[in-house]
Amino acid sequence: MSRNKANLILGCGVVVLALTALAFWVPNDSATGLIVKQRGRLSIGDAMAPTAALALILVAGLLILFEKGKPAHRITSRNLRFLIAFTGVFFVSLAVMRWAAPAIIWTMGNLGLTEHSYRDLRDTAPWKYAGFVIGGTGLVATLMSMIEGRASWRAVLVGLLAVAALIAVFDLPFPDLLLPPNGDV
Amino acid sequence: MTEILDYIWLGVLAVFQGPQLFSLLGFAIPAAPVMVLAGLLVGIAVGATPGLAGPMAMAIALPILISIFGFTPDALLPVFGFLIGIMKGATVGGAVPAILFNMPGTPDALMTTLDGHPMAQRGQPKRALRIAQLSSVTGDTFSDIVLFVCAPFLAVMVEAYLDLPEKTALLILSISFIAAVMGGSVGKGLLSVGLGLIAAFVGTGQALVPRLTGGVEALSNGFSLVGAILGVLILGEIFKSIEDMMQRDRAQPTTQRRDKSAVQDGLQPGDMRRIAPHVARSAVIGTIIGALPGVGSTLAATLSYTVGRKRHEKRRKDSDPGFGEGAPEGIASTEASNSAVSGANLIPVLSLGIPGNAAAVFLILAADSIGGFNPGPAVFKFTAPAINPELVTAFGIFTLMVIGNLLNWTIGGRFMRSMGVLARVPGQILLPAVLLLTLTAIYVQETSLFALWVTFGFGILGYLFRRSEVPVLPFVIAFILARPLEQTAREAFAATGGDPWFLFSSPTSVMFIVAAIASVAFLSRK
Repeated sequence: MSRNKANLILGCGVVVLALTALAFWVPNDSATGLIVKQRGRLSIGDAMAPTAALALILVAGLLILFEKGKPAHRITSRNLRFLIAFTGVFFVSLAVMRWAAPAIIWTMGNLGLTEHSYRDLRDTAPWKYAGFVIGGTGLVATLMSMIEGRASWRAVLVGLLAVAALIAVFDLPFPDLLLPPNGDV
Repeated sequence: MTEILDYIWLGVLAVFQGPQLFSLLGFAIPAAPVMVLAGLLVGIAVGATPGLAGPMAMAIALPILISIFGFTPDALLPVFGFLIGIMKGATVGGAVPAILFNMPGTPDALMTTLDGHPMAQRGQPKRALRIAQLSSVTGDTFSDIVLFVCAPFLAVMVEAYLDLPEKTALLILSISFIAAVMGGSVGKGLLSVGLGLIAAFVGTGQALVPRLTGGVEALSNGFSLVGAILGVLILGEIFKSIEDMMQRDRAQPTTQRRDKSAVQDGLQPGDMRRIAPHVARSAVIGTIIGALPGVGSTLAATLSYTVGRKRHEKRRKDSDPGFGEGAPEGIASTEASNSAVSGANLIPVLSLGIPGNAAAVFLILAADSIGGFNPGPAVFKFTAPAINPELVTAFGIFTLMVIGNLLNWTIGGRFMRSMGVLARVPGQILLPAVLLLTLTAIYVQETSLFALWVTFGFGILGYLFRRSEVPVLPFVIAFILARPLEQTAREAFAATGGDPWFLFSSPTSVMFIVAAIASVAFLSRK
């Protein structure tokens, strides 16, 4: 793809999005218009600033559209595949971080090993670390494995060490700070 | 004059008589100077580690610092001390892997590889590191002195001569200038600014119903400053670096054997005399460029190196190495220049509240998080007999910078030379760990997984920007300046009785608007 074509796609996309936002988003999602008259005085309404910003984006899109110059980098299908894979890893890691510890406590409750919910135990070691350790280690180990092109125990060990270091930095000296996901449960 | 001296003294006292960190032999050890030292050492270590950067360390340190010192005005100077220490240390530390392994620790140090590494290859790594440190600290000290003189002067001028329409026009000029000079094209610079503005306008406004939220309740207070900035600046860079590492063989540290024969290492007689004019010239170039918001240290280093090479070629003897062959003058030119940028970058921050680089962004973020100090022209109001606490803090910041320079002069070089080992930390370990560290730092501040998703979203945006050659810093600066810009414009509009042409109501504001249009029209790079 030539630079002109890459810029054409980017410029067109920006122009279309800016026009759509100007026509539909800003008018329908702002409580006041461009100018408001209150008690006989004129003042700038909530829609003015977003409209100006979108007008700037529109100009930017037009400039990109007609830009000439040396070959530019562009987003390739390879980049998009990476983004999808990366988003997947992030999503799964955060989901595990959020739900692993409550799931463990729930299972233990069903087995009759505890009568507490995770909410009761979220300030008690080791439960308060469980989600962060599992999800955090998973995130680090998976990304390391993706970079190296192979899964390894070394990656898991690095993940565990990273998580342990973060617990030592954020949790042990500062009892008021909450590690993920304990502020959400 | 007495007022100014009184405030300078109060600033010094605020640093040394502020909150104490601990007591040693009955003496209270003040927190702020110790934090400068700690920040400096962390900064040097971070700068010496390829893949890490000063802003990254500042982002991670901020929630920890706030947890330690709290949200009171007493926390300002210790927190600023640490961040300033990182800023100064990272600039110096970036030269270490550039010289030893031909890998710039920070983007600023790219030009240092050209002469630093050949000198190290010739068996003189200590000499190269010493020249880099001396040049870097001299450039930094010079630009700090310019900052101390210019920032208050500029702020007083702004307060005295600029009314609301002119201040609005000045903010528009700053944003336009940043859009024009950063990145490969003016269109992409403007796109970055426009997106930064629109992101900042989400969930804000003066009506009872928050605007542009799409009905999402969690966005009713807008995107958090921390999430947006760290996402675009830090996560975007991590995503790109991880993908780069996946797609190519890891860059191996240079393994050429160094010539360890009878070459004498360390500073040579006459080195100081040789580098002095290059350091002086580059410090001036770096300071001038640094004072312009958004113009990075890479440009300063490149310009200084080019000018230095021309001067060197005219005067060098046949036995002296040329630029690119391990010339001490080459190292001095780049290091003095890129370090001079960092101090001068704070001129627009402290005098106008306009951040010029990523480090300045984090200082504003710290001030915003803690409260009690709003960088801008209002800081420099010399009130008497009532004391202006913000002005005391400003002079406290200047004192911290002096302490940072003194530490950099004395122990910085020794610590820097011991950091070579960090350049060998593998990126595949470093990047995932830094990602988790950044996410954790954001969570402990925001205590919400939604904040992590927002940060991730901005990280994706930062990644797409980098892949499309859209500069990221204009986005961040526009995001920070959007609300002050809208507020000033609203007040100016109301103050002029609803005049739609308020931006053209005085010659000064007309001049600023014309300069804004001219900067976009003429400063755009091809």
